[in-house]
Amino acid sequence: MVKRYTSMAYKAADDMIFGKSVYPVKAELGLEVGAGYVTAEVNYAPRPEAGVSKEKLVSEYRRLTTDIMARAVQVGFPAVSLETEHVEQMTNNPTWGGEVAHVQKTILEEYHEEYGIKCGLRHTPGDIREDRDLLALIGAKYDTLMESFEAVAEAGADFLSIETMGGKEILDYAILRNDVPGLIYGIGCLGSIDMTMIWSDIRKIADKKGRIAAGDTDCAQANTAMFIAGGLLDKNLAHTLAIIARAISAPRTLAGYEAGAQGPGKDCGYENTIVKSITGCPIAQEGKTSTCAHSDVMGNLVMQCCDLWSNESVEYHAEFGGTSVQCWSESLNYDAAMLNVATETGNAKMLRDILVLSDKYRDPQGYVLAYDNAYKVGQAIVKDGDDLFLRAKNAAISSVDILNAADSKKLVMSKFEINALKDAKASLDAMTDESETFMSDCMEKYKAEVAVFRPDANYKF
Amino acid sequence: MDIDPSKILIRYNVQKEKAQSPEELAAEMFPKAEPARTICAAIFDGEEDDVIEGLEKAIEGGADAIKLIDDVLMVGMKIVTDLYDQGTIFLPNVMMSADAMLEGIEFCKEQGGSAPKPKGKIVCHVAEGDVHDIGKTIVAALLRAAGFEVVDLGRDCPVDEVIAAVKKESPMMLTGTALMTTTMYAFKEVNDRLLESGLKVPFQCGGGAVNQDFVVQYELGVYGEEAADAPKMANAILAGKGLAQLKETFHKH
Ligand code: B12
Repeated sequence: MVKRYTSMAYKAADDMIFGKSVYPVKAELGLEVGAGYVTAEVNYAPRPEAGVSKEKLVSEYRRLTTDIMARAVQVGFPAVSLETEHVEQMTNNPTWGGEVAHVQKTILEEYHEEYGIKCGLRHTPGDIREDRDLLALIGAKYDTLMESFEAVAEAGADFLSIETMGGKEILDYAILRNDVPGLIYGIGCLGSIDMTMIWSDIRKIADKKGRIAAGDTDCAQANTAMFIAGGLLDKNLAHTLAIIARAISAPRTLAGYEAGAQGPGKDCGYENTIVKSITGCPIAQEGKTSTCAHSDVMGNLVMQCCDLWSNESVEYHAEFGGTSVQCWSESLNYDAAMLNVATETGNAKMLRDILVLSDKYRDPQGYVLAYDNAYKVGQAIVKDGDDLFLRAKNAAISSVDILNAADSKKLVMSKFEINALKDAKASLDAMTDESETFMSDCMEKYKAEVAVFRPDANYKF
Repeated sequence: MDIDPSKILIRYNVQKEKAQSPEELAAEMFPKAEPARTICAAIFDGEEDDVIEGLEKAIEGGADAIKLIDDVLMVGMKIVTDLYDQGTIFLPNVMMSADAMLEGIEFCKEQGGSAPKPKGKIVCHVAEGDVHDIGKTIVAALLRAAGFEVVDLGRDCPVDEVIAAVKKESPMMLTGTALMTTTMYAFKEVNDRLLESGLKVPFQCGGGAVNQDFVVQYELGVYGEEAADAPKMANAILAGKGLAQLKETFHKH
């Protein structure tokens, strides 16, 4: 049995700040995360042609890693962290991922030795646990996935991460139907059950190899909702529903920490400020400097409490300013330098609040994720921290309440967004408070409606 | 610290919102006569039970169950998709309406003891190696909502399976979705294999990674920017447009 969080790591929202966490973590080559400074976390993807063989892939990663490190010392940056999100071949063939990690770590060691630059390396195996249209969370693929973690940990990856998919089969159905109970069931209940299983095992591997079980994200669901919601003029999902999905994702991501993750949390977890308020563990974030990978409506705001600052992903290719990884890592590093100056000069809270106000009223999503409100969502989660269902429902309710209490002259919502919020509230009000009733009702409903839902095989019901 | 945000950002969605609510706009579009009006309203609201109840009443009143499909159910659904195309309502409403309409069709088929001829058959798939299937699911739902029969091959679909399905089903159109720059190349292979077999079926391709510049590189490809373009293209094919004309209509530059 894992111990669930029932209290907050911070006494007040205002205590939360970028670059600092209650429980910093330390990588092998001098890098500390959350220990008082923000560091760039550079992300990249190999060119499609490079995926055809192990040799080509390894050589692609060798080149791009060298490029990043070379640029970092040319411009005088004190620290840098790298994240390798596996392409599928690297996870399915654990030795491939292992070899890439080894080659990368060797380059980092050389630079660390020669220049003293602090470095970290995160490896993120892909969640390969599926067969075509069906999730296959438990079984042979799970074993391969764990072998992949072993291989990258053995080869030198400091931080172990993954973007798990538990609960996604329900989310994919529910999100296109404004189905709030479905969001709570898919993300908050099924997702957390899977997270509890997988993160217990990742932690065991990390401990065995002396690495750090870093953290997960609800990319598969909350980011799916955010992308379907899209920009202001997109018509696929109300932004007020996207933020409810996001709020519900916080207790899911939290379940990873409860099972053994220590941070830094994954960059694309926009729920991370809520999670940090509860765990006090460091987090990575992405926003204004990840526009190479996606657009969002809160690019500055998400910097508010980050410990690593990421560009999410960029394909390795040439740009006018060097290779893409050099350009984007340089931008990230300059961002980090600015944040660190604010810290050094005693202006960190001022800068944090400027970043937040730049986006707080741009969209309901940013409004709820602003650290003061994120903290309130955190409180709602820990209030019933021991009950996976109730804490997810609490998170949803608190995000709705926060929006309803907003100053409507500042956070101006469309009638459509307001109506979606009203419907969501009505549906939450109509829900039971009994976990068991909810779980058995949902089981029956979604078994009937979602053909690909296999509760026994995937969640051991 | 706080600010008046009006100087630093504009929520254009609020500015552009129509004065009339979607419900008011829809009400103006519903047929005047009963029971069509009630059934259309039930489709708009996505209420399956009310759709069935309305159909039952209509059939008791002497209506032909099979004719109700085209005369009422499709009419109600068209109101919904028109409002979506205009940007008045959002996708989940369309999905819920489509669910309700499809249940209505099933009911009519049972009652009438036969099935009407669908407008045409379309095969949908997600590129080999790619699991991103939400865009494809939306495309399939909008096609069904527009009265087409959809054969959904799902995600991560091997090229062989796509070719086999086209041979077996003889669809009027094929759709492909890819969200990764690494997987979209499968479309070229699908195109080449279709041409080898002499199958000149229009192949509409979309999804995050795909753009027009990529799609114009293969003969059968027509680019689809958003999901709503799929039923538009299917209707254009029904209206007799050939590949060249389809490209002219759906390619933006
Ligand atoms: C959600 C998501 C996921 C979910 C997918 C859930 C699902 N069931 O689909 C999960 C978590 C499973 C996932 C996994 C991965 N993902 Co992902 N994912 C995304 C994300 C965040 C959003 C995609 C989405 O659903 N958009 C919303 C839908 C509605 O949009 P859409 O499909 O484009 O469809 C619209 C239109 O394009 C159009 N359309 C679509 N198809 C068609 C067809 C026709 C005919 C027409 C007319 C229109 C049309 O209609 C829709 C509405 O208008 C994107 C980010 C991004 N920038 O796109 C990354 C992204 C696509 N993922 C990415 C990656 C790398 C991965 C992983 C490899 C990660 C990993 N290391 O495990 C795996 C992939 C595994 C695999 N083999 O496929 C990269 C791809 C990079 C690349 N190489 O190009 C992206 C771009 C993120 C990034 N910036 O790095 N992902």
